[in-house]
Order: sequence, then C-alpha cells, then structure tokens
Amino acid sequence: MIILTKIKSINWQAIRENKLYRRFASLKTSVILLGILIGFYIVGTIFPQGGQIDDYIKAGGRFTPFVIFFNLLNIFTAPGFLLIALLLFINLFICTVERFLLLLNQRANRADGLEFIPAYTFPLDINRQLEDAHGSIKEIFIKDLGFKAYPYHEETALIDGSARIVEKGWSYKWLTWGYHLAILFCFFGFLLTYLFSFEDEIILYPGEAAAIKPATISRWNKSWGHQPQELDFKLQLDEFITEYNQFPVLDYPNDKLSRLAMAMGWNEPKYFVKNESYFPKDWKSRLKVIEGNKTVLEKTIEVNDPLYYHGTTFYQAAYKQNLKIQVDDNPILLETDTDNELMIPGIEGMFRFGTIKTGTLFKKDGSQEKIKSFVDATLVKKDSAGKTETEKIGKLEQDGSLIVDNKKIILKEVKEASILSYRSDPGVPILWWAGVMALLAMSLRVFGAWYRIIYRIEEREDTPYLSFTIKTKGLMADEEKLIRRLKHLLENMTEPIDLDTPV
Amino acid sequence: MPNLEAILSRDAYLLSVEIKLFWFVALLYGTCLILHLIHLITRKPGPGRLGTNMLWGAVIMHAGLILLRTFEGQRAPFQTLYESLSWFAWSASATYLYVGRKWKDIYLSGILVSALSMGACLYALLARSPAVEPLSPPLQSYWFEWHVVLAFLSYAVFVVSCSIEIVYLMIKPSLKKGFNTEYGLHINNLEIFHKQSFRLALFGFPLLTFGIFSGAAWANDAWGRYWGWDPKETWSLITWTMFAMYLHSMSIPKWKELPASVFNILGFICMLMTFIGVNWLARLLGIPSLHLYAM
Ligand code: HEM
Repeated sequence: MIILTKIKSINWQAIRENKLYRRFASLKTSVILLGILIGFYIVGTIFPQGGQIDDYIKAGGRFTPFVIFFNLLNIFTAPGFLLIALLLFINLFICTVERFLLLLNQRANRADGLEFIPAYTFPLDINRQLEDAHGSIKEIFIKDLGFKAYPYHEETALIDGSARIVEKGWSYKWLTWGYHLAILFCFFGFLLTYLFSFEDEIILYPGEAAAIKPATISRWNKSWGHQPQELDFKLQLDEFITEYNQFPVLDYPNDKLSRLAMAMGWNEPKYFVKNESYFPKDWKSRLKVIEGNKTVLEKTIEVNDPLYYHGTTFYQAAYKQNLKIQVDDNPILLETDTDNELMIPGIEGMFRFGTIKTGTLFKKDGSQEKIKSFVDATLVKKDSAGKTETEKIGKLEQDGSLIVDNKKIILKEVKEASILSYRSDPGVPILWWAGVMALLAMSLRVFGAWYRIIYRIEEREDTPYLSFTIKTKGLMADEEKLIRRLKHLLENMTEPIDLDTPV
Repeated sequence: MPNLEAILSRDAYLLSVEIKLFWFVALLYGTCLILHLIHLITRKPGPGRLGTNMLWGAVIMHAGLILLRTFEGQRAPFQTLYESLSWFAWSASATYLYVGRKWKDIYLSGILVSALSMGACLYALLARSPAVEPLSPPLQSYWFEWHVVLAFLSYAVFVVSCSIEIVYLMIKPSLKKGFNTEYGLHINNLEIFHKQSFRLALFGFPLLTFGIFSGAAWANDAWGRYWGWDPKETWSLITWTMFAMYLHSMSIPKWKELPASVFNILGFICMLMTFIGVNWLARLLGIPSLHLYAM
C-alpha cells in the first residue's frame, strides 16, 4: 500500500516532460541505438567469439591490445554492448508505455487526428430524402462491405457533426503496439537466459545410470558464490543407434570449362556407389530418466528431438567410439578411441582410425542392411626431417584383420557412447511465446488490411452527395478495389433509394 | 525392388537434363540483362519490353527446373547452396515481374534483378556441386523447409526493393531538371514507383523475422542453444536490424528521404553478406561457423 501511495505521489507529468525522457521516447533514438548495435555485431563477426586470446595471438592476430581492452573475443557480454542493449530496452519500454497512453487517449479524445478532408465525392444520383440516404449508405458500409461503425462516432461527430466514421480490419495501431510489446518481452527472455542459463555435456555408455553434475553454473548463482549442484535424477543409456544412408558419389568435374562442356552434352554426370558411400542418417539414444531407483521417463532422443525433464533439456550432440585391437595372438587387447592415435609395439608410426561405421545402412534401392562394423585405418609416420606422412592401411572389419609390418591386427570389439549436451534455460519459454506473438501481430499488421473511411452525406443543389476519405494500412488493403465495389453498390442501391426514379 | 544400377543411371540422366536446363535458364537471365542494358543505353522501350518478356520465359522455365529438382530429390529443393541459389534467383525475378506487372515501360530496375539472377545461377553451376544429397541429421527438422523458403523469399523481395531504390535515387535529380524522361519515369509517377520499394521491404521484414525466429527455434532443438553468435546468425541479425532502421526512418519526417534510402540499400548489402559473404568472411578470417555450407 505504501509503495502504491508513493508511486501515486510521484509527479509523472514532470518526468514525462523531462528532456532526457523525451529523448528516450523518440524514434530517432531507437534508430541511432540500432545503428550502434550493428557496429558491435560486425565487430563480433570479425573476431572469433568465445575464442581464447592465446589462440588469437597464435593465429597471427594483430590487434591484441585492443582485443584485450575491449574484450573483443566476448563482445556480446562486454559492458559496452550490454549498456547499449539496456538503453535500447529503456527506449522501447518508454515508447511502448507512451504509445499505450496515446492509444487509450485516442479513445477518450476520439476526434484526435481524425479531421475530415474528403478525397472522393460521389453523387447519389437519386431523388431522395437525406435521411433515407443515411440509412442506406450505412447499410452498404456495414452489411455489404463489412465495416464497423467507429465505436464513438456519435460523439466524435467531427467538425460539423454530420461526418461518420467506419472501420474495417484489425486496428493496425494496436497491432504495431502489440509486437513492440512482444519484442519487449523478448528482452526479458534474453535477460533470463543471460542470468540463469547453464549448460554442459555428458558422456553416456550403454547400461549405466549416470549422475549429472554440471561443471558450469548460471551467472546469477555464480555471483552469489554458489557451487554447481548435481541434478536430482540420473540418466541411463539403454542403447545408442547409428543409421546411415547409402550416398552415391557424383562424378562431376570441378573445373569450370569441363562443367561448361557438360552443359553442351560433351560429357555426362555419373553416380556410383563406393565402399565408403555412407552418409549419416540418424543418431539416436534410448534414454531412461531414473529418480531414486525408479524409471520415471523413457524416451529415444535424436538430433532435433531432445528430452525435456525438470527444466533441463538433453540433446543428442555427438558420439564417442572406442575400439579394441588384438595384435597377433596377444591376449591383451589394446584399447583406443577414434579421436586418438594408437601406438602398436613393433610397428613404426601411430595408428589413426576414422569413424567406425556400425548400425544400419539404408540403401538406395529401399532395402536395409545391418552393417558389419568396420573402420578405416591409416598409419602416421614422421620422417627424419620431422615431416608427417600418412599411409592408408585399409578397411578393418569386425573380427577381420590387416597385416602391417608382418604383424596381424585384428578388430575385436567396437563400442559406442552417446554424448549429450544439456542445458537449462528459463528464457526459452518466454522467448518462444513472445516470438510467436511478435510474428503474429507483425504479420497481421503488414500483410493484413485495415481501412478507415470518414464520410459525410451532404446535399448540393437538391442532390445528395457522398464525400469520403479513405486511409488504409497493410499490404492487402486495396483502395481501388474498395472504391470500385462501393461505386457498384451505390449504383445498384435498392430500397429505400431507387435508381430508376427519374431525377 | 528396382536395381541399384537402374536407379543410379536414372538419377544421372535426370541430373544431366537438369544441368542443361539450368544453363539454359542462366543464359536467358544473361540475355535479359543484356537487353535491359541496351534499353539503358539506347533509351528505347523496345529492348526493355523484350527483356521483360524474356524474363517471364526464364521464370516459367526456372519454375519447371525447381519442380524437376524436387522430383529428383523427392524432397523440397532448398538444402545445399546450389539449390538455395537457384530458388533465390527464381524468387527475385518472379517478385520483380509480379511487382512490375502494372508499370508501363519502366524497365530500369530489371537490370539489377536479372544480373543477380544470372549471377546466382552461374555461381551455382560453376562453383557448387549439383549432387542431390540426403538430409543430414541436423537438417531433419520441420523447421528446415519453412526456415529456408521464407528467409530466401525475404532476400528476393529485398533485392527488388533495393533495385527500385537505386533507380529512384539515380534518376530523381535529373527528372527534376526535366532530363531522362525516356525511361518511362516522370515526376508524376516517380513517387508511386518508389513506394513499391517501401512496400517490398515491409513485406520482407516479417519473413526475415520468421527466418531468424525459426532458425533460433531450430538451433534450440538441434544444438541446444537458440543463439550462438555464429557469423551467419549475427549477419542475419545485422540485416534485420538494418531493415528495422529503414522502416523506422520512414516514420521520421526528416529521415524518410535520403537516410531511409541509404538504409534500404545497406540492408540489401547486409543480406548479401548473410547469404554469401559469411562463407567468404569466415574463410578469410578463419572463424569457424556451424552454418557454413559444405563445399
Ligand atoms: C528492436 C527493436 C524494434 C523493432 C524490430 C521494431 C519494428 C518495427 C517495424 C517493423 C515497424 C514498421 C511497421 C509499421 O509501419 O507499422 C515499426 C514501426 C514503429 N516503431 Fe518500432 N521497432 C523496434 C523498436 C522501436 C522502438 C524502441 C520504438 C520507440 C521509439 C519504436 C517505435 C515505432 C513507431 C512509432 C513506429 C511507427 C508505427 C506506425 O506507423 O504507426 N520501435 N517498428
């Protein structure tokens, strides 16, 4: 209550007349602020965002002192950028409030901005009383053309009291106001993201229920000195599934002349299937959410179809592949993953393995095939001068073997783990709804059609005339068509006005 | 079950037809450009009229080409840059013809439109692979087609808006002095002509907004983050902001003339950066981007 009285006692009028406030209520300010933001954005595309300064220096970056001083590698969290964004927010907020008051006010002072300067005048070519003409014209606007009488037209009673206002379509002013308001809500969404979101990654091996302990924490919690908290549920991967499409390779020249020759029909493009024509079709993880000892949710996720649970979303981000190799008859298997190189005693150089192909292959002819897991092996050697050379060894199939330096290398086992990224971001729902509202209102405003007609029926030399002016908004508004229809309707007016009556 | 060889040779045959047709369409756009340039130099309406008629032919044929590609890939043809360039060229020219259908003997803005359509086709043909690719997992989203189709439609609309703006800026001073009246524009119809450029930008803005919104919603599903300040995302935001500046300037009496026109043209340049320039900039500066089209 006290706060309310305090708010009421503030001299709002004085604030609204303040010069600085006026500046923030101005459209010019928005254009200038938007322009400054563009400057920040461009800088943000020139310097790699989120990069490390050491990498920048190593890559030959020349503006190091600048980059450090202005925090150019994280420009979108730098104070300068946040300040301009804040100013734009204030600008938009004030504009939205002012516009709201204006729109309300316009209802109170209905005549505001509605002066009547007729643009068209049609004779109502008939011998009738003015009173009758009023009724019929109103009927044409309301019934035939779908207009609504402007709610306050009786009082609006423009100028000499005889003009009438009719409108059709959604009020463009409220729509414009509506999407500005929605954009304002987007700013709240961004703020929530900025303050409260956090994210991390987790690697899940099939069969184990893993605790989820993020290494990061939201800015808000960090500023209060909190530590990251383990989530109150576990996640278990039941199965990781990979699927591939057979992807025929196109034999097509790269140089421009040969391409031109192809246009002339001197050569034809060809598709062919090679051994390695595998194109990723899908990665899926069959997941269980476990609370205590109970499974509370099961879902198979894939890219574009994440799992939501208790405010956290889990995404299929990537996968990790391990393989076990047997060398000759040695019972001790060597284990590695495809991201790392493997040294095999007795063989010079390091082994590098490509992506293991495993799972299902969807073939071009519509059939499916279980892939016999395989991996391409290469050997990386350094010569005496320190230069690296890579040598393709070949395709190593599950339980198959390759001979290198007289050693037999057997692929004994492949294992895949799913890498999920997860994120908690309370800004997303607000942004989703605000975005939809903004788009909806903007589309109705831009693509829709809104008309306002102010008209008057007046008598000149015993003939009633319809004079009117039209204002339209929206790309679908078609003034010419409306006038054609109106003319047509006026010409075919029946009771109480009868065109056949001789003048 | 059809055999693999038969499928592959059918696909190769369709592709060879497509490539020839595509070259022919590019050639048509090129001829339109030349005719428009002849119109510019000779100041006679004849070549302009012929160029416009030929552009109709190109657009109709190009529509057939896009349908053929849809049939080949059994999906909406908006996945690779090769495909997007084709859609961009078509939609820019189609928008131009639609907007200009009531203009009488005004052809100047066709220069930029036919040049860009030709350029986009040649770039696709000479520098991009025409292979029909399967959809990679991140692209398998219901956002994908709408995101691309509407964002590119907004680009096409901005091209036409910009070409009108440029013609307006170039010809206005001389028309005021009574020169250059042979191009079908005169002081009485100049403003009506120019108004189209605002209407087009207005039309494009919600489409671009949808493009950004759908992109963010999609990224949120695919990558777990609705916005990552990736160069492509940032440039789309720059374009959007520039057009917001343009539209707002049109409501500021003192700025609705030259400043607004400049913002409109800058918006077009930003759009080109978003579309093509990002690939180039990212490679030039070595900035990694999730959005880069595969070569
Ligand atoms: C993020 C920023 C903004 C965006 C994307 C945006 C978008 C737009 C668009 C697209 C229009 C043109 C549509 C039309 O003609 O109705 C518009 C008009 C307008 N905007 Fe904004 N706006 C933004 C911020 C602002 C701010 C901060 C103000 C306050 C000064 C403002 C005030 C206006 C006004 C007064 C109009 C003219 C409305 C009319 O014609 O009745 N906008 N805005």
